Amino acid sequence: MTAVSEAATSSAMRTREATVRRFALTDMLFRTATRLSAILVLVLLGGVAISLIAGSWEALSKFGFSFLTTEAWNPVTENFGALAPIYGTIVTSAIAILIAVPIGIGIAVFLTELCPRPLRRPIGIAVELLAGIPSIIYGIWGLFVFAPFLQTTVQPLVIWLFKGIPGLNSLFAGPPYGIGLLTSSLILAIMVLPFITSITKDVFDTVPAVLKESAYGIGCTTWEVTRRVTIPYTRVGIMGGVMLGLGRALGETMAVTFVIGNAHRISASLFAPGTTISATIANEFTEADGNLYTSSLVSLGLILFIITFIILAVARYMLLRIDSRTGA
Amino acid sequence: MKPMLSTDLNAPETTVEKAKIEVKNLNFYYGQSKALKDINLSLPERSVTAFIGPSGCGKSTLLRVLNRIYELYPKQSAEGQVLLDGKNILDRSQDLNLLRTKIGMVFQKPTPFPMSIYENIAFGVRLYEKISKAEMDSRVEQALKRAALWNEVKDKLNASGLSLSGGQQQRLCIARTVAVKPEVILLDEPASALDPLSTAKIEELIDELQADYTIVIVTHNMQQAARVSRQTAFMYLGELVEFDRTEKIFTSPREKRTQDYITGRFG
Repeated sequence: MTAVSEAATSSAMRTREATVRRFALTDMLFRTATRLSAILVLVLLGGVAISLIAGSWEALSKFGFSFLTTEAWNPVTENFGALAPIYGTIVTSAIAILIAVPIGIGIAVFLTELCPRPLRRPIGIAVELLAGIPSIIYGIWGLFVFAPFLQTTVQPLVIWLFKGIPGLNSLFAGPPYGIGLLTSSLILAIMVLPFITSITKDVFDTVPAVLKESAYGIGCTTWEVTRRVTIPYTRVGIMGGVMLGLGRALGETMAVTFVIGNAHRISASLFAPGTTISATIANEFTEADGNLYTSSLVSLGLILFIITFIILAVARYMLLRIDSRTGA
Repeated sequence: MKPMLSTDLNAPETTVEKAKIEVKNLNFYYGQSKALKDINLSLPERSVTAFIGPSGCGKSTLLRVLNRIYELYPKQSAEGQVLLDGKNILDRSQDLNLLRTKIGMVFQKPTPFPMSIYENIAFGVRLYEKISKAEMDSRVEQALKRAALWNEVKDKLNASGLSLSGGQQQRLCIARTVAVKPEVILLDEPASALDPLSTAKIEELIDELQADYTIVIVTHNMQQAARVSRQTAFMYLGELVEFDRTEKIFTSPREKRTQDYITGRFG
């Protein structure tokens, strides 16, 4: 009888070992597959970087560092400089973020803390729909509706308002074209708003109820709870949302191309037409005939790549510093 | 023999001192479901009152009515009266922020704010008082001493409140509550997430604080209730079953249900 049971045990052991071996195989396959997927990201990123550098080599070796500091962009004499698009990209994105962040956080606070329940879903869905609108629609809406509106009402008013004030009068100098840097910034602000709002709302929801209760429990108002507890508690997440929005604003092409005016110059006035890196590339790729022209456009792409990279790195560094300061 | 009225039943034998909080005919609803049924009790000033009872019996709910923190949630509502020094705090005209500066609350889990230890305490004080840096420093020090935390944190007041251990965080929360100079302190199972040593410290602290504050503590731990409180309320299924001096509740309760609970027959 013991022999029988021993035999049974050993056969059971054998099946188990076979199963384990089979598991080991699938486990190995699984591990390899996930590792390859992860490596693929590095390969792709490296590939993009290398092809950008290779493509921009001709222009960069000809113009050298002055490519970054020249405003001129002349396809006829083949003299190219990236300063105007870089300026336009940074200015429009910065203004867009400046406008969108307070509004986005405001919406998120309203939705999570103050909104009456029946209104919460409709507003939340509306914000998400805003994110789903294709950028071309923002572009044509901006060009045919928003820009004429700005041209006829807002811009003349602002120009008149700031006429005598030094600084502001050159920042908001006429003539009112409708299209221009500020119009692009406003459109971009609308476009990045849903990202910032929905991420901020999501991270606000992660604040433990009991933490908010204890803040209310010592007599805080909603504003004080938001300002001193909710936002500090979620700053990493909010920063993530802002960075995502900034990334979108920097790279946004279609809508900006429609409303920025595509002029390669830098003017003090925000009402003046300008251009951004992505708008320039989109506009001029089809007509870029010489190798140098094409290479200059690729160089612009490389610069955008680097700007995005720098901004992400700075954001990481800031988060790191905030974390080490609070010891969280 | 006269039938015992519920109010008689709930009156502790020694109600000579002044009642700080009186709860009268209180009903509480989570949406449609009734969580507290006709609660009547009176909490004497400067003493510790414990609420005991099995999970879901409404003891935390009752506590949350006392500073109206339940109003953060739209579906919860209370009926009846809660008198703080004779004034009904359930009244619509009651200013909530003011109420909560008078009635502080400490929760089951420590909830330090995401800021430094110093700021955790100064924050609440600053909301309602404009005081100089020096005064604030001494206020923070007093509060931390009060909570028996000063010696452990005096060299790292600028470190994050989150960097402390669980027990220290809970004492920080008590210090924060004390710093606002409330009149009543509500403790919602303040030691249930802590180790025995920290628990002992918190209990010691409660014992000292009752000289100045009216304290209400919700606890699952009956030994704790017996150790720290002067009177105990036993709640069951949303009802206040018995309310009396603590030693009475634990030695010769009037109600069979109380007897069963404290001897561990259910709950």
